[in-house]
Amino acid sequence: MTSATLHQHPAPELEPGKVILELRGLEKKYPGTHALKPVNLAFKAGEIHAIVGENGAGKSTLIKLLTGVMPRTSGDVIWEGEPVALATPHEAMALGINAVHQEVVLCRHLSVAANMFLGEENVRYGLLQQRAMVRDAQKIINDLGFNLPAHVMLGDLTIGQQQLIAAARATVRGTKFLIFDEPTAYLTRKEADQLFALIRRLKAEGVTIIYISHRMEEVFELADRVSVLRDGTYVGTRNIKETDEAELVRLMINRSIEQIYHKDEFPIGRTILEARQLSGKGFENISMTVHEGEIVGLYGLIGAGRSEFVTTLYGRHAKSSGTVLWDGKEVHIRSEHDAIKLGMALAPESRRDQGLCLNLPVGLNLNLPVYKRISKGLLISGSEETKHAEQQISGLRIKTAGRHALASSLSGGNQQKIVIGKWLNHGARLFIFDEPTVGVDVGTKAEIYRLFSTLLSQGAGIILISSYLPEVYELADTLHVFRRGKLVATHGFHTASHEDILTQALAEKQEKPGGQP
Amino acid sequence: MSTEAIPAEKPKRNYNALFGLTLLALLVLLWVLLSFSTSSFATANNISNLLRQGSMIAILAVGQTFVIITGGIDLSVGAVVGFATVTTAMLINSGLPVFVAILITLLIGVAIGLFHGFGIVKMGLPPFIITLATLTSLRGIGLLMTNGNSISINNDAFQEFSRGSFIGVPNLFWMVILVGVPAYIFLHHTRWGRYLFSVGSNAEAARLSGVNVQRTIYMAYTLSGLCAAFVGVLLASRIGIGNPTQAEGWELQAIASSVIGGTSLFGAIGSVHGPLLGAFILATINNGANLLNVNAFWQRVITGALIIVIVYFDGLRRRGTK
Repeated sequence: MTSATLHQHPAPELEPGKVILELRGLEKKYPGTHALKPVNLAFKAGEIHAIVGENGAGKSTLIKLLTGVMPRTSGDVIWEGEPVALATPHEAMALGINAVHQEVVLCRHLSVAANMFLGEENVRYGLLQQRAMVRDAQKIINDLGFNLPAHVMLGDLTIGQQQLIAAARATVRGTKFLIFDEPTAYLTRKEADQLFALIRRLKAEGVTIIYISHRMEEVFELADRVSVLRDGTYVGTRNIKETDEAELVRLMINRSIEQIYHKDEFPIGRTILEARQLSGKGFENISMTVHEGEIVGLYGLIGAGRSEFVTTLYGRHAKSSGTVLWDGKEVHIRSEHDAIKLGMALAPESRRDQGLCLNLPVGLNLNLPVYKRISKGLLISGSEETKHAEQQISGLRIKTAGRHALASSLSGGNQQKIVIGKWLNHGARLFIFDEPTVGVDVGTKAEIYRLFSTLLSQGAGIILISSYLPEVYELADTLHVFRRGKLVATHGFHTASHEDILTQALAEKQEKPGGQP
Repeated sequence: MSTEAIPAEKPKRNYNALFGLTLLALLVLLWVLLSFSTSSFATANNISNLLRQGSMIAILAVGQTFVIITGGIDLSVGAVVGFATVTTAMLINSGLPVFVAILITLLIGVAIGLFHGFGIVKMGLPPFIITLATLTSLRGIGLLMTNGNSISINNDAFQEFSRGSFIGVPNLFWMVILVGVPAYIFLHHTRWGRYLFSVGSNAEAARLSGVNVQRTIYMAYTLSGLCAAFVGVLLASRIGIGNPTQAEGWELQAIASSVIGGTSLFGAIGSVHGPLLGAFILATINNGANLLNVNAFWQRVITGALIIVIVYFDGLRRRGTK
């Protein structure tokens, strides 16, 4: 409703084709964030409808609402003319709504056939008809043209093959409405082709397909229509024949640069860290430097190798080749401990899995890296522990009942402040922030950016990883673009356009998805 | 528009202490009830006896709690106790000074704990498996060393110790204090204690914050092994023999004590005073049931039921405070 161009296409009601699912003012609010602003959108039976948008645009929220994983805040969903609640995943499946997720959510330790019929096993006299199930599964797989065995353990297949099984599984359950969430992220080109063939076949059988992808070429290859989301707002829908990549990219990122990006100029000082032709699991041949007072931005899609690169710098994984220099001297960082001793600090990508001890108090989380320093002999200095925790809680304005409250009781933004705050008293010189503002509301974002300035003013350097282009674009002094484990381009502050950077990250036009083995 | 956040929780400041108090209240209640319902409960003799009965499990439970806080489990402690009675007996009978015999036995406990750490950290075995393996093989090694016989300890002074008392309190209970106080300081006032909790809560976050996760796991199992070996020495003193089949099932009593004392088997929640109280609650139930002439078989059933009830209510209360 923000874009003026919207009015050229008064939303749905194009062409014939019965509407199978209609969203009327569908909305989702979390505490502190408005994940999806009211959406009006109609999906037609038998169409392939692509949804594009940046990370955090609201795509996954939309999927969760449609598959009944989360309840909506308000609005109506009309399924075949009838309002539906979509309160549980079971209800969504019973209607015929299924999803194939980017990460395979099947049982790796069961056979392919067992996974295909999970929950709908072929049972006779109380016994599983294993042989019949394998036979039936194999028939389905063969029909779909996948050359895969049905009797092997799912975990023995590649991720891409598992993805194909997940798709095949979704087709055998009376599915009328199938959502693919970035299905090709881990597929080779050949596997992707098989998947596309499956999708076209489903379409021919009248199944409605929602196809979510970052890859423009796939959208243009498959979709009939495409809808754009941006910052939780539905921007518009286009017929694929009436639009082009440039327009979609513009719709995806078109924004007034909000005042939240706060960038002070600091003199760039000496080199803190230099990586020379560093290779490791998930990335190869990366060279870059970080200086005092500098923000180095790493932009790319999820899985482009950025997180792997920084965690390797941080000693979490072993490098396979290349050298790392710290203050001009070669260093061998073999563990996180080594990295922290040098003066690195990492605020990892996943708060829940890597950043926080959720069922422990806020204070303990904030102090975890500095217990050695605030101990006198064997004992922790209680006053130092309190002082340090209180200082961060008030300094960062962490909203909590106190340092004894559990980290799990805080909102996402405040949890993120803990992940960052625990390093502030540590005296680190190189801060690595991996997606620091994911799931964080605008106010907290601004606070986190101001914190960057404080760190820079103290002579620290920052590596900022983000999949959210405006963030790195507006903050980074040097911007490196990653694609599939390689550093493909480097820009200075505002020396390239959004479109160029996005294109570099998404892949050149001629390059096909998957590709490298 | 920053975070309207989730409604703030009430401070959990004295949460652990509060739970400790409710457990203490339960223990006192049991004592009061038993004092009124039996004539023999509230006698000095019986109280001393009760303290002796509970002491050894209490010490085991403290060691066990360190392990459980990291998210692990130590099934070997009962077997270590039995094995330690054998080594203590053999070493004392070989003519070594008692304190040397004790020291060597304690070192054996440390070695067993280090082995557990090695199995978990270096070999990637689940704690349940590696400690289960030690449980069965230690009993076997003990039986091989003794040919299945008990070894009588020929040192009266050593046996006197467990029967004696100091200012009216049994020596065995003093041992609980000897272990409990340093354990409390260790768990709640040193960084190693904090690291135990952080590893149990989220090992990856702890590692990325610079905590040496492997060392922390070694430490937890070593402490548990040490506590178990110490209890082995005490048991040898109390029964005057070394026998590898002693302390059968004590690992389960230690785990039960720990869980009754508020330790979460999922890790990251636990204290030192909780398991101590848990152990004495269990001891009181057994003692009281004996005095009330409850069938010994029923005692087991009652103990099991009580574990379910106590832990269930603890879970309810925990969820309730959220």
